[in-house]
Amino acid sequence: MTDPGFWIFVGVVAGIFAIFALGLQIQLGFTGLLNFGHVAFMAIGAYTMAILVVRTEMSIWLAGLIAIVVSMAFGLLIGLPTLRLRDDYLAITTIAFGEMVRYFALNLQGLTGGPQGTINLAGSGRAVSYNGEWVQFQRRVQGWLESLLGDTFLGEYINPNFTMMVIVWIVVIALILFLQRTVNSPYGRVLRSIREDEDAASALGKNVFSYKLQALAIGAAIGALAGLFYAWQFSFFSPIDFLPLQTFFAYVIVLLGGLARNWAVPVGAIIFAVIFAGTRFLNFWPLTEFDSGERAYLRLIIVGLILILLMAFRPQGIFGRRQEMALE
Amino acid sequence: MSDASHSDARILEVRDVKKRFGGLQALSGATLDVVPGSITALIGPNGAGKTTLFHVITGFYKPDEGEIAFLGDSIAGNPPHRIARKGLVRTFQLTKALTRMSVLENVMLAAPAQPGEQLAGVLFRPLATRKREQEVEERAMELLRLVRLDRLADEYAGTLSGGQRKLLEFARALMVEPRMIMLDEPMAGVNPSLGLQLLDHMRLAQEERGVTFLLIEHDMEVVMTVSERVIVMNEGHVIADGPPEIVRNDQRVIDAYLGTHREEAV
Repeated sequence: MTDPGFWIFVGVVAGIFAIFALGLQIQLGFTGLLNFGHVAFMAIGAYTMAILVVRTEMSIWLAGLIAIVVSMAFGLLIGLPTLRLRDDYLAITTIAFGEMVRYFALNLQGLTGGPQGTINLAGSGRAVSYNGEWVQFQRRVQGWLESLLGDTFLGEYINPNFTMMVIVWIVVIALILFLQRTVNSPYGRVLRSIREDEDAASALGKNVFSYKLQALAIGAAIGALAGLFYAWQFSFFSPIDFLPLQTFFAYVIVLLGGLARNWAVPVGAIIFAVIFAGTRFLNFWPLTEFDSGERAYLRLIIVGLILILLMAFRPQGIFGRRQEMALE
Repeated sequence: MSDASHSDARILEVRDVKKRFGGLQALSGATLDVVPGSITALIGPNGAGKTTLFHVITGFYKPDEGEIAFLGDSIAGNPPHRIARKGLVRTFQLTKALTRMSVLENVMLAAPAQPGEQLAGVLFRPLATRKREQEVEERAMELLRLVRLDRLADEYAGTLSGGQRKLLEFARALMVEPRMIMLDEPMAGVNPSLGLQLLDHMRLAQEERGVTFLLIEHDMEVVMTVSERVIVMNEGHVIADGPPEIVRNDQRVIDAYLGTHREEAV
């Protein structure tokens, strides 16, 4: 529990999930879109980048950019037929969409490496990696960090995970600043009005459909960005990393912090990551009656319980205003 | 039926509009005109098709048949936001306050020509956005003072009473700088003194800004005092149309209303 290396890893995970949940925040928190397939955008981002790098030897930066654009295109593709319908149709369609992406990844073995994941990207028996360039970049950043912080108390902790944590959290903060500027503008006001009542918004001359599509695409881009960092952090990944559960983790994070509050997302993400990783320390009686594999599932139960308690006692989240929940 | 020479005397023309929901013919060939700068009342017994007609005119429903022109351009089947941008704005029978936004934001939202409503505008035209935003806020506060909601500007719109929400919707509609406003039962649930204020604002907007009004209203006293013209609907079409004192004595109108009353009395 006191191993700083472990907590730095938790910091990386929290950062990646914060990015992921920020994408959901713009869709759900600000625009009111029930996207239950957010994980699909993460998967599309990660896979598109990895495939391009391995197949075409493209630079990871260009591949990452293309991956984000592809994810946005999928966001538009899913939004075009469904966003004109009622909210719940979008929810159903996005659940299906998330699972479709995962099943494609699982079965299009020639393209994605299939169930074994990206290690098989170039065909089985020829292990490949897509993140050589990222590792180099990370080393360079680590060099800067060492020259910057080497003499401070942080010096001894600087390692690849520490570097990743710094990079990811810089991205989180940059993203929040961008989103704050967006949602506090007249643009954000239109998004919120759609969340409140889309008929009122369209009666006042706002093209609701277009704004919803944009919100979906922005969220898809941010989800893909999270997918890129996920891929770069774990050097290889497989379809099992993109279970629907990931989407619900993003919901927990957004709801923990509070809907429509960007700065609440990293707080929610940190709490979530600590709970999620911290449950591995549940090694005391009576929990020791379960074996470690069973205890690993306990964290899912705990995360679920937190969500239930939150909805029951603090539906507005940590930073939300109770009053908002009572307004009709 | 309509020839071009007459259309400048009409801001809104509705011709033979039909709308069916399953077995219910909600509109069975509704035809009406609205004169620019007028205040026209649309009345009729419950279920006559008034609100359906509002939905069809403002694009929330697509007409099955018929033609609708606003300022001489066909708008039938256009999406609501495009019709609103043309200058035809409506309010709703059940108010649509954006409850978790402030009263001020509710009104500011309605402002036209804000470059910051596009993502590109937010990112690349911050100065133009801020400048417009200042104008918009000033105008919004002015309108809120007009409907006496200025003290509540920073409150959530969800905290307003039913009557206050009607006033808020009215201010919001004016913020769009429309040529014509369609009000669906603006006085329903509004206490009489607020209601009188609303009528004053309507007359003021008509006189000072030349805004045209078409309103659905059940309060006959209001209809008779405020409107220059009354259009009566029953069973999905217009049965009478004229100055209030004439319409009031029209036998078809009396039958439509009395028929309803008689059924209700049973």
